[in-house]
Amino acid sequence: MNFEYSEKEKQFRSEVKQWLDDTLPKSLSDKVRKHQRLSKQDYQTFMTILNDKGWLATHWPTEYGGTGWNAIEKHIFEEEIIIASAPRIVPFGTIMLGPVLIEFGSEEQKKYYLPRILNGQDWWAQGYSEPGAGSDLASLKTRAVNMGDHYIVNGQKTWTTLGQHANKIFCLVKTDIESKPQSGISFLLIDMDTPGIEVKPIITLDGEHEVNEVWFTDVKVPIKNLVGKENEGWTYAKYLLTFERTGIAGVPYSKTALNHLKVISKKTFKDGKPLIEDPVFSSEIAELEIDLLAMEIFNLRTVSAASNGKAPGMESSLLKIKGTLVRQKTTELLRKAIGPQALPYLPEQFDEGWNDNPIGPDYAGLIAKQYFNMRKISIYGGSNEIQKNIVAKASFGL
Amino acid sequence: MDFSISEERKMLQETVSRFFESNYENINKRNKNVNLADGFDKKFWLEGAELGVISALISPEHGGLGGSGDDLSIIFELIGKSLCVEPFLSSGVLSSTILSSINKPKIDIINKIIEGKLLLSFAHTEMNNRYEDTYIETKASKKNDKWVVNGIKSFVLNGDSANKVIVSARIDGNTNDKKGIGIFLVDHDKITKRSYNTIDGYRAAELEFSNSSGELLARDDEALRCIIKANSAGALALSAEALGIMQICFDMTLDYLKTRKQFGKTVGSFQAIQHRMVDMMLEIEQVKSAVMLASSTFHADDITRDKHISAAKNLVGRVGKLIAEETIQMHGGIAMTWEYSAAHYAKRLIMIDHLMGDSDYHRDRFKKLTLN
Repeated sequence: MNFEYSEKEKQFRSEVKQWLDDTLPKSLSDKVRKHQRLSKQDYQTFMTILNDKGWLATHWPTEYGGTGWNAIEKHIFEEEIIIASAPRIVPFGTIMLGPVLIEFGSEEQKKYYLPRILNGQDWWAQGYSEPGAGSDLASLKTRAVNMGDHYIVNGQKTWTTLGQHANKIFCLVKTDIESKPQSGISFLLIDMDTPGIEVKPIITLDGEHEVNEVWFTDVKVPIKNLVGKENEGWTYAKYLLTFERTGIAGVPYSKTALNHLKVISKKTFKDGKPLIEDPVFSSEIAELEIDLLAMEIFNLRTVSAASNGKAPGMESSLLKIKGTLVRQKTTELLRKAIGPQALPYLPEQFDEGWNDNPIGPDYAGLIAKQYFNMRKISIYGGSNEIQKNIVAKASFGL
Repeated sequence: MDFSISEERKMLQETVSRFFESNYENINKRNKNVNLADGFDKKFWLEGAELGVISALISPEHGGLGGSGDDLSIIFELIGKSLCVEPFLSSGVLSSTILSSINKPKIDIINKIIEGKLLLSFAHTEMNNRYEDTYIETKASKKNDKWVVNGIKSFVLNGDSANKVIVSARIDGNTNDKKGIGIFLVDHDKITKRSYNTIDGYRAAELEFSNSSGELLARDDEALRCIIKANSAGALALSAEALGIMQICFDMTLDYLKTRKQFGKTVGSFQAIQHRMVDMMLEIEQVKSAVMLASSTFHADDITRDKHISAAKNLVGRVGKLIAEETIQMHGGIAMTWEYSAAHYAKRLIMIDHLMGDSDYHRDRFKKLTLN
């Protein structure tokens, strides 16, 4: 057994690190570090830089302009961009739609859409969840009626992340309402500028606008925007959902948060002594680190197997469950660490160019907000309950 | 043994409950109050005073009509259920406890608090003081025979709109000494304020005292005894408030599980979910019991009082996290939204653990009070 990265992998990591160091604008990494709200332009700036280097489409083969990296290389790259405090790569076009088009799209679709994802012409949104179709995605109701040369789409999508920036949306729609849920679904590419589409913001409990509702009223969509075959969309959707997701455990996020927690626990005082010297609190930090260390190896075992061609199955679900719990635990301990300093909330503190003094230490204003925001990660992308159902169904033979 | 509440208290409960319900009909109304100039609705506050809600928090010997642990718990459980943001805690509990516990109680000021005409705030917490009673950096000294206060107090509930502020300050000794503490009454115009909303929608302020003249209310043992009592009373009130919130969270979650359908059946029909609801129910019963016990010993000797209040507040911190997190998780995305009231209940429940001592603080205090 050898837990070490190979020389080649180490070299790759230092190449990525160096490149990010040289190329990532400081104004951007500062914003990410301070957790300021990112504009559409901020995301696009970083993705343009990546594309110029040829590193934007990490999940695509080289013939379509992707990196062709294996799972370990992708893993290293994902870690390094988080460590460098780069904006996240908006996944909807690059990681989600791209691979579906490459696998199931027509030549014309590939030729038209893939370059537009790479050069930033299109910002895609994901139209999956509906008010009545969350965990039970297959029960979706948005209806597309085939009119010969076009579809007429009616219905509502929800939890559309960053949909306020999108000019395109890929949607699961119902094209056959007679058959059983999974079999009457189609995968449609829709232009957000089409008449009849309305985007309404959803404000989350931390006061932020990240997700949206998208309403469709008699929206005309050309037949050529159907991906693959009519009524086979569920297969493509599953391909997209189960697509190898090496970053699902969020290990680098938890690592960053753990380091932050240790720094804060040294600076914060409890009864006149640094909090880190409190036996109970430091034990909680230690147990968190033990969980995280184990999970990192679990993650690497899965990544390593994937790089040898073994598609992760239930490991993705297990890693998602543990990964979200560990990450949520970091936000909980950070919140506990700062005590009453977690109370004040200045929404304007996260605007670009905010120069006022924070209340207390500069890191305090974010912590409770993050704790509440991170409740979402055990709900979205298949809730932890659904992940458990998947594992139990797939592995136990009960 | 009799665990039922008296007829009188039942009437109080019903009256106050109706009053809160009529003024806090939905979460939008509440969130509107949060954004008013003072962070609460002054009209509602005065109406509450007139109805006797503040009076119910203060004992007859100090001019009120209640003041027992049970009274406090009844009112604050209802405050929790409505997510009410009016300054019942800062003025009605913390400040009035100090003013009634000093050797020469300030009955005239308490009367005005009861009428809602004077709003007082208790400024004890500091940026480097987590929840400790004795950790005080703010200084008080005598200048030309008059007391002046210097320093900064943090996270002062309703500190921006208070007419007068009760501030703890160190007369002598080191920052964390038990001796040398004084409490002072300072007029609001002697203080520089920076106000803000807390993440759960309450109003607080940073208060800067710069040679601010104040009246000495108590010092040394007397002062510390009053600070401990005020913080304990606050912890009891918050525990009861949390209990009210937990019951709302439980009811909302259960309702949702009965109506929300996925996979052709209600989410609540899954056994894995039912068991989690039973865990929540059980823990809420535990909290209810701990709050009852702490309420019943509120007027016992200081050690008994603080032991049971710490037990309740510790349990509230632990169970509060469970209920808040499970409420959001079992609702799914809908409870992540601003529009849905469960999100605001969950936020308040979590942030109650950041006021008047968190679960760790009260576990440690319980240990000190019981194991030595």
